Amino acid sequence: MLRVEGLSVALEGRRVLRDIGFAVAPGEVVAIEGPSGAGKTTLLRAIAGLVPVAAGRILAPPSALVFQQHALARRLTALENVLVGALGRIGFWRSALRLWPAAERAEALACLERVGLEGMAGRRADRLSGGQRQRAAVARALMQRAPLLLADEPVASLDPDNAAAVLALLRALAARGDRAVLLILHQPELARRYADRRLRLEEGSLCPG
Amino acid sequence: MRRLAGLLALALLYGGSLLVVRPDLPRLWAGLPRLSAWLGGAFPPDFSGLPDLLHRAAETVGIATLGTTLAMLLALPITLLAARPVAPIAVLYHPARAVLDALRGIDGFVFALIFVAAVGLGPFAGMLGIALHSAGSIGKLWSEVLETADPAPLEAVLTAGGSRAQAAAVVLLPDALPQLASALLYVWEFNIRASTVLGLVGAGGLGQELKNAVDLLDFARVLAILAIIVALVLAADRLSGLLRRQLG
Repeated sequence: MLRVEGLSVALEGRRVLRDIGFAVAPGEVVAIEGPSGAGKTTLLRAIAGLVPVAAGRILAPPSALVFQQHALARRLTALENVLVGALGRIGFWRSALRLWPAAERAEALACLERVGLEGMAGRRADRLSGGQRQRAAVARALMQRAPLLLADEPVASLDPDNAAAVLALLRALAARGDRAVLLILHQPELARRYADRRLRLEEGSLCPG
Repeated sequence: MRRLAGLLALALLYGGSLLVVRPDLPRLWAGLPRLSAWLGGAFPPDFSGLPDLLHRAAETVGIATLGTTLAMLLALPITLLAARPVAPIAVLYHPARAVLDALRGIDGFVFALIFVAAVGLGPFAGMLGIALHSAGSIGKLWSEVLETADPAPLEAVLTAGGSRAQAAAVVLLPDALPQLASALLYVWEFNIRASTVLGLVGAGGLGQELKNAVDLLDFARVLAILAIIVALVLAADRLSGLLRRQLG
């Protein structure tokens, strides 16, 4: 599903990741742990194609990224934000004029329902709570139908019940066997409970074991 | 060393300015009696022929409103080329910025002067002059709004397989709408002020009446026109402020 080989990334002349190598199999949930500044977010962004690779290679299927700070468009509704996940499948004019195809709209509503936001479809993102925004961001990632789901601290702003619900959802997605989940988690107990495997990143390198 | 160079540059700027302007306080002093005589003669202000004055005021508002609207239409495509997060063709970024700087660098008054020669006297020339200069101002303000916008939602579009054009149309422009509209209202309000003097070059509006009254040394009329200009500018200022607050 995902294979990272000898990956190095430099940002503004500073080497952030050094010789990273690992693989994630279909159906697997892998958690990345490590202190702040270890390069965890950069690793996910490199896999998502948002930062250039200095050395090594990434063999990955299309991926969807749940951003650390939601990355929702503040003045769009929750439903429109989820539909952003379908932009790769919708033409420019239809999306610019917000003439969303009925099937995509129905799928976006279903994604919102899966994250427990069925009643919030018409609410603007800047009027959602922190936890609701995070769940809307997960729904947008689901909308991408990507085989690989990358999540940068997807439960950072959630209360324990909501955090458990989102992680259980990610776990269930992977359990179907056609998707893999790679996520950054700061809570070791959650990583132990929901991840099949844990990787530890320190100062830009993967720790052995 | 840098501080010394800065002080030297400042001294040169002020020295040069004094040399070319030659401020002359005795001359101002000598002119004061004339000014006070004019001021005394300005009361009461002459509001005779008010419908004509109001028609000129309407021309001023029309020049500013249509000029700003045309400027907005001209600025939009250039802005999309001149804002890094959405610029579809990197090589056109600097030329687009240069076009905006050139338009902004030439005052609307100067453009109006050229258009009066090209299309004749009247508010149409004024509107064209305002539009060209304001296109530069609006484009500059808008491109800065887009360049300082949160890049994360844009990245979300790109990782979802969307294009930069989609990111701009679906996410960036709606999110930045309050700031974009606020910049537009600011330029419109500025243009109301700017349009009051366009008549000095024959480009319509209250400035035309003002010039006639000054030429005839009719200061009661000058005062009436200035009162209308101040009322117009204050009304535009209040309306623009009100609309901007609503956008937040």
